[in-house]
Amino acid sequence: MSEPAVELPSGLDQAFGAVAGELGQATTAWLFVRAVARCAGDGGVASLAERAGPEYPVLDAVARGWLAGLRKQTLDPLPVLAAIGKANRLVVVGMEATPLDALMERLDPAVKVAMITHSPFPVDWDRVLDNYAGRIERVDLDTFQNWAGGKSALLTFAYGHGDTRTVVPPLWLRACGADVRAQFRALVAWNVLEAPLQLYPRWLVEIDADSFTHFVS
Amino acid sequence: MPPPHRNAPSAAFIDPARVDALLAEAVPDDEDRAFVVRCILGEGPAHHRGANYVLLRLLGMIVDRLGGADAAALRARGTTPVPMKVPPHLARRGSLMAYPLGLSTAALEELAPVGTPDHAAMADCLSDGPPQHSLANAAMLWLIGAALARLEERAPGSARPSARSRTRSSAPPKR
Repeated sequence: MSEPAVELPSGLDQAFGAVAGELGQATTAWLFVRAVARCAGDGGVASLAERAGPEYPVLDAVARGWLAGLRKQTLDPLPVLAAIGKANRLVVVGMEATPLDALMERLDPAVKVAMITHSPFPVDWDRVLDNYAGRIERVDLDTFQNWAGGKSALLTFAYGHGDTRTVVPPLWLRACGADVRAQFRALVAWNVLEAPLQLYPRWLVEIDADSFTHFVS
Repeated sequence: MPPPHRNAPSAAFIDPARVDALLAEAVPDDEDRAFVVRCILGEGPAHHRGANYVLLRLLGMIVDRLGGADAAALRARGTTPVPMKVPPHLARRGSLMAYPLGLSTAALEELAPVGTPDHAAMADCLSDGPPQHSLANAAMLWLIGAALARLEERAPGSARPSARSRTRSSAPPKR
């Protein structure tokens, strides 16, 4: 990064961690990068990446993408809807507010939706799910399998895609074991990053992209 | 306890499209069928997946050479659900969690009359276990039932005519 260093307010990295649980790391990264760019220009975005990137690699990826010219998050829910297909139950594993909002706007109201409410970050889940006005039910790792069935799907968010590997929330590995794979008709990953992470995927975990039935970029 | 496999067998020969085509009439919905085929060929140990593929392909060849499956006739003779195995306390009350391919019971009538404890026990054995067993059993039983029905039609004095003369081939779709 060749942008000049810009002094940013202290505590932005802590603020990122406080918000990421409720909005998701990519959604929060876009929020922070746009705000810093508005207040401190590209130099501020470079400083944000330098300071907070190593702790939050998704923020680093979004900031570096911004500096490379990617100024807008492109998310199309239609291929995700196609991947979910005729499923009438959907369990969301992980949180990304912007993509999830876009999906919920288009999703058939007849499809029941639940979210496994678990995060490595502090989260007020009642507040998060209140944003969906009762449309998304709360489940946990002990109970989400009663949403399984021949017309049920699991959805998570992925953070970039290399040759064969991708990065997902560790919660996906806890939820989608060998037993669960045969209990849900579709195992869908929605990639919310344009490029693979360049730093060690703290907070996330690498898996084979072809372990999903549908990988949507 | 058996010794572990020294070398895990390869299942690289599996072509899911061919089994998908075999089951097109048993599971007409594309998404349902993709789920069933994944459970049979894509989940579980390689030796199960590979064995499922080999046996289904061979059974499919037998059915093809006998004139194809008569799906309507088989379905009319009855199926039982293949239950989805979830921890008992997580099963939804009042809603059977089952796979989209049922167990065709026609072939079992060769071994035990419908309604007998033996017939029911056989169906239970075939539909128990993880789906790489239970769904593979269901798919094989579907093809075995189809083959037996065709052989029965060929028997002198057969009293069980086919619901239709011939169904479409189970050849895989052209790519």
